[in-house]
Order: sequence, then structure tokens, then C-alpha cells
Amino acid sequence: MSAMLSPYRVLDLAHARAPLAGMMLADLGADVIAVEPPGGSAARRRPPFAGDVEDLERSLFWWAYGRNKRGITLDLDSRDGQALLRRLAQSADILIEDERPGAMAARGLGYDQLRPSCPDLIYVSVSAFGQNGPKAGYEETDLILMAAAGPLILAGDAGRPPVRVSVPQAWNHAAGEAAPAAMVALHARKRIGRGQHVDISAQQSVAAASMSTILSHAIGANETSRIAGGMAVGPFRTRLIWPAVDGHISLTFLFGAGIGPFSQRLMSWIHECGECSQEDRDLDWIGMGALILGGQMDISEWDRLLDVVGAFIRKRTRDELFDEARKRGLLIVPVTTVDEVSDSEQFAARDFWRYHDHDGWNAPVKLPGPFVRVANSPIEYRRPAPKIGEHNAEIHAELGSSDAERQRLAEAGVI
Amino acid sequence: MSNAENAVADAMSTALEGVKVVDLMWVVAGPTATRMLADFGATVVRIESSNRVETARSIGPFHDNGQGPDHSGLFGNMNANKLGLSLNLATEEGRGVLLDLVRWCDVLCESFSPRAMRNWGMSYDDLRQLKPDLIMLSTCLFGQDGPLSDVAGFGTMGAAIGGYIALAGNPGGDPIGPYSAYTDYLSPRFAAATVLAALDHRDRTGEGAYIDQAQAESSLHFMSTALLDYSVNGRVPLPCGNDDPVMAPHGVYPAQGDDKWVAVAVRDDSDWSRLCRAIDRPDLAADRRFANAVSRRHNQADADAAIAAWTAQRSAQQAERELQWAGVPAGMVQNSADCLADPQLQHRGHFITLDHPVHGSTTVEAAKARMSATPARYRTSAPPWGRDNDQVLRQILNYDDEQIAQLAIADALT
Repeated sequence: MSAMLSPYRVLDLAHARAPLAGMMLADLGADVIAVEPPGGSAARRRPPFAGDVEDLERSLFWWAYGRNKRGITLDLDSRDGQALLRRLAQSADILIEDERPGAMAARGLGYDQLRPSCPDLIYVSVSAFGQNGPKAGYEETDLILMAAAGPLILAGDAGRPPVRVSVPQAWNHAAGEAAPAAMVALHARKRIGRGQHVDISAQQSVAAASMSTILSHAIGANETSRIAGGMAVGPFRTRLIWPAVDGHISLTFLFGAGIGPFSQRLMSWIHECGECSQEDRDLDWIGMGALILGGQMDISEWDRLLDVVGAFIRKRTRDELFDEARKRGLLIVPVTTVDEVSDSEQFAARDFWRYHDHDGWNAPVKLPGPFVRVANSPIEYRRPAPKIGEHNAEIHAELGSSDAERQRLAEAGVI
Repeated sequence: MSNAENAVADAMSTALEGVKVVDLMWVVAGPTATRMLADFGATVVRIESSNRVETARSIGPFHDNGQGPDHSGLFGNMNANKLGLSLNLATEEGRGVLLDLVRWCDVLCESFSPRAMRNWGMSYDDLRQLKPDLIMLSTCLFGQDGPLSDVAGFGTMGAAIGGYIALAGNPGGDPIGPYSAYTDYLSPRFAAATVLAALDHRDRTGEGAYIDQAQAESSLHFMSTALLDYSVNGRVPLPCGNDDPVMAPHGVYPAQGDDKWVAVAVRDDSDWSRLCRAIDRPDLAADRRFANAVSRRHNQADADAAIAAWTAQRSAQQAERELQWAGVPAGMVQNSADCLADPQLQHRGHFITLDHPVHGSTTVEAAKARMSATPARYRTSAPPWGRDNDQVLRQILNYDDEQIAQLAIADALT
């Protein structure tokens, strides 16, 4: 059976910051063409590199997010390159770009400029703060965007600077929103008979990583704040990451209808081991929130329970805790490092990983596999990320460019 | 847009009108995906039972710091624009209503543990007998099979076992991780894109689809470079605080006020010159210790001290403005009050006010995508239990009074 999006073509100009969007559509089967400048995408200059050799064909970022895409080079700053992009756009269903707001329009390639000749085109702009507004022109990086919408202030130790994830995340959030939004526009096109402009703000996309605490002030709730290994809301604190003998585990320890039953089962285990009292085990783990709020249970009692659990975990290894958690249905898993993820039995058992050969690298490259499994239309890893200009000839042939024309563009440095 | 275009947009503003979704999902990862569909016009019937309280209802932030099933701003944010049907799936009659909804819908989404639907005789193969072109999404932390598929999983655990917690922290310190249930924020994008692709495919071919999502697997695509650095180079990426492999200085600096900070990133040498002028330290721009990124990283403590001395004398907002004015990437580290007051988020209409049956009004986040012709629409707040039972049972399923009474007697609507 054919891949789900096989009838569609996507021009991916978002190679420098938001290539995940095109990758998602490419994985679902679309013909995605990465459009790079003749000297190669900025993404190719981003570390890390295979073998730590800084080389335009060795960027691991490009290898990861360029897969399943074809590649063409063209110079968007030349008239010939712009004309070529317009021709390509006429053959495309979706265009994704991540330039600074206004940069595409300055080249005559903004949505309003392309629309007359490409009324069906879905034009997706992914930008840091959105296409307009007082901060649309702001200078940005991953750190600035994580700071701007809630998640950063929540991560770290109280009183110390908040800390970001060491692998940049913000533009992936934006790209992640861009792919389903492009699909919504594809459905809309069937109803309204034309394309439209889709405007994605990385700042707004990153807000998803605040777990809705971005709404706290608006609904009259206390701010959530960061503490080592956990979170605090007003006087209430809890832990999510706990030290064990040989590393850390994640344990969600909370009361209430949702998590309370898990906490109760954990306390049963602790009691069986003789490390908490029967009274602690038999507390009202469902209704505890109301008791604390109503003053029938002092917040210091909760803090004491955190200490009981913490002492229990500190005496045990990650494996001991995880094995027992699986038997008892507890919310405990080990905090794993990247090598443990890569070597995980679970991902291997599901045959998750995929391998691509890359010219100039001596072994197959192991990539994270299909982001979903679709029974009758599986995600295929059809091709590795393209080399610079790898599909120039092929795509020009599809466009019907003459050899002479291609020769001229190549000599002018356009492709 | 011109007026004429606005008129067209108003008349045809729902991209997904007519798309019918049954939402058996809960907490964050699942409901976020169906919220996207609902914002753009799909009819989403959210099924819950008060017998097994949806976890999100017990997680904050809470309206006015209160307690109650309709106080959770998290639940409210995940489920705006959806219809609420209370249905007790532990009863045969309740499951009968679900089967009728399967016949009605285009897409069925569930996020139970892998055994639940099979045990009810509602696997994809079972349900396909009722609805041959059904699109069904099963989403859970580890997927439908594999040795860990039985692990009850929240996104907090996905963040731990997916490598994220270990990738955020100060060098040599305890893992910090991104906030809370990180994989719950990442996986819905993959789920929504796939469901929409499957719908498009069905429209063209008549074929349905079964989608098995392991949220932990989807989420690994947000850290691909770290995974490749290990598989290709054999290097285990470690957390490095707020340091960056290219940019230096690169960090979070104290501003005036309690827990107020400003993030600053120096992308290159010219950013450094601009920064030095902006913080009235032109001497540092000429200082050989800070001539390039490598030397600035080597002498980062001195650079950080100079920046912090300047930021500490200003509000975070003022520091952001002055540095951005100078062309240096900088931004205040915003909490929820800062975000609500942020002129950019206001300009984008990020905070949406909706009527609420308990609180009078409530606030949810807007759709992330601004679409010129078919913008998101915000119609209703998240449903209290059973708010839309009548609409679903009478208008969608055409049940009569007698049928509804029988369901109530069988305890199927709790």
C-alpha cells in the first residue's frame, strides 16, 4: 500500500531551524524537497559531526532531520533562484519556511506574492515569536525561547538559575506544531478550494512544555516554582526525581483521585518492608489534598512523608525499584542516559531503530525509528539525508528545465 | 486580509468540520492531540466516567487554588472545545453506547494501557467489523507490545526513561530535567499529524488505519542529535547547565526582584561587541580574554560576572529591552504572570477567555497555529462530567427517552 501522504509535495526551506516539520511529513510519505543555498544549509554547520570532523556532509543534525527528503540547491537571493523557487512552488502543495519575518517577502517570495501564481499552496511560516507583534523582530536562540513561554523558570534548583535541556528544544516544538497545522490546512483546502498562510510561533509552541502552568496567574492559582528534583506550588512541595543507590529514578508521588492510588500502593510496599507506619500507609491518599487545604492535615506532615519515601528509595538500586514497580503497578522508572536509551531492550524488542548508510562514513548510522506504527502504511526510511545538491538534476528534469538552462544556472552560482 | 476574504473565512472557517472523533484519552498526551482537531472544527466527543476520575482533574494549576473536579486548569486547557459524555465502560450498556459512537465516528483515539481495549473485545480488528474504514489511534508510553508495554506510564516517566531528565542539569550535579511530563508535550504533535494524514488517505482510498503510538518513541525525535552522537561517535551527551557548544557566554543571569532572571546568548563575536557596549563595558570588547567563543568560554566566569553585575541592577524586562535594542539575543525568564502580561503573547491572542459553568469564566491557551483562512475557533470550555450527554445521546446517536432511561438505570451514564 502507498504511503499516506504520497500524492503531496512539500518544499522545505526550514532546514536551518525547523527541519523536523518536513521530516514528519516526509516520514508520512510526502515528497519533501529540502531547498538549500548553494553553499549548503546552516544546519550542516551545526555540531556534533560524525567523527568530530567539521564537514558539510557530516552534520548529525542534518542526517537526523534530513532523512526521507530530496535535496536541491538554489540561491534565494538571486533573481534566477527566486524564479526557480516560484516554479517549484507551483508544483508543491506545502511550503515551509523558517526565515526571520519579512525576509521571504523582501525576496518577493512571501505568501501574498506567491499566492497569485500558486493559489492552492499552503505556506507555513515558522518563526521565533510569530510573523508580527512587538517582539516579532527579536533576536532569538533556543535559550531565549525556552525562557519566553514558561518552561525554563520551572526547571532547576530553587535560588539558582533555571536550566535548559542541553539538546536544543525550542525549534523542535515549533516544527512539531507546524506539521499537524500543515495537515489541517490540507484538509481545509478540500473545503475552501485554496491554500492559506499558516503562522507558527516558537514562543507559543514552547508554552506547551509548561504543562498548562502558563495559565496559573490567569485563573488565580499560585505560581509553580522549581525546587531540586521537583516542584513547589505555594507552601506545597513534591519531588519527581529521587536519588537511589546507583543513580536516580522518576517517581510521581502525589495524592488525589488520579495519582493517589499509586502512592497508596507504594506506601503498602514501604510498610511491608517495615519502613513506614501502618498509619502512614492508611492515610487518605485520595482525599489528602482537601485535608491539607482544609487545615486538617499540616503541610509539614506531607513533607515528612516525602522524607519517608526518600529514605526508602535512597537504600535501593534503580533495578530493584523498577522491577518491583512493574509488579505492583507503581509510577517508578529509572532516569536513563542517552546510551541506555539507545541500548534499551524495549526499543529493540519493538524493532524501533533504523539504519542508513552515509557516503564517507564507514558504518550504518543508527537513527530513531518510526514515530508511529501504522499497520497497513508503515513509515519507511526511504533515503538518507541528501548531500548538497544531490537531486538537482532529477528535480530539474521533473520541472522540464533544459540542460542549457541548468548549465547557465550552475555557472551563475544559482544552483 | 481584505474584507471579501474575511467574509469567505467567516463562512468557511472550519477546516475540519464534519470530522468526527471519539476521544477515550486522558491526562495530557492524548487530549492535547484531540484538542488540536477540536480547535479547527472537528466534533470531538470526550468520554469520561466519574467512577474513575480522569487524572488531569486532580492536577493543577487550580482555579483560585481550590479543589474540585472542575478546578483544574490543566484539564480545562486540554479539553476545551470538546463535548463531554459521561459513560461507565465497566457496564455492558456503557460499552454498547461506545460501539454506537464507533459506528458514527471517523477516528477513535484511546490511551488506555494496551490490554484494556482488547479485554473489552474492542481491538482494532474487532471494531473494523462495525466500521470498515475506521481510523484508530492507540497511544501510550511504550506502545502496544514489547517487554515494558505493561508499565503504566505518565509523561514524567517518559521524560526519565526517554533520556530527557538526564540531559538537563548542572555539570556534575543531580539530574534536573525539563519540567514534569515532558514527553506528553512532544508526542501529541506526531499523533495529530498522523491522524490527519490517515484521514486524508481514507478520503482518497477508502482505507482506514490503525496507529500504534509509543509516546516514548515519538519523543526521541526531539533529541535525535544526542542519540546520533552516541551511536555514531560513541559519546554519551551529558548535561552542561546552560552552556552551549557554539555560543559563549550563554546563560541565565539574575535581575532585580524575587526569582527574576534574564537569559542572554552571545552567538558570535559581533554579538559580544554589542553586548559589551550595551552593558557599558566597551573595555571587554577589546579584551583578549574574550576575543572569540573559545576564549570567552575559557574565561566564562569573568564574562558572567560582568553581565550579572549589569543585569542585577535592572528589572528583567528592562534588561531584555536594552539588550534586544542593542541586537543581542536576550529575554526575561517568564513565569505565568509575566506571560499573561507579555505584549507579544497578548498580540498573538495566546490567552483565550471562555465561559465556564462553575467559575463564570476561565482561561485556556490558543491553538499554536494562526491560519489565515480557517482560524481556530473557541466555542466551549472543557466539559464538567456529562455536560453534553443530551447532545451526544439524542442528537448524535438519536436515542429516545426510553433508551436513555434504560442506560441511566443500568448505571451506564456515570
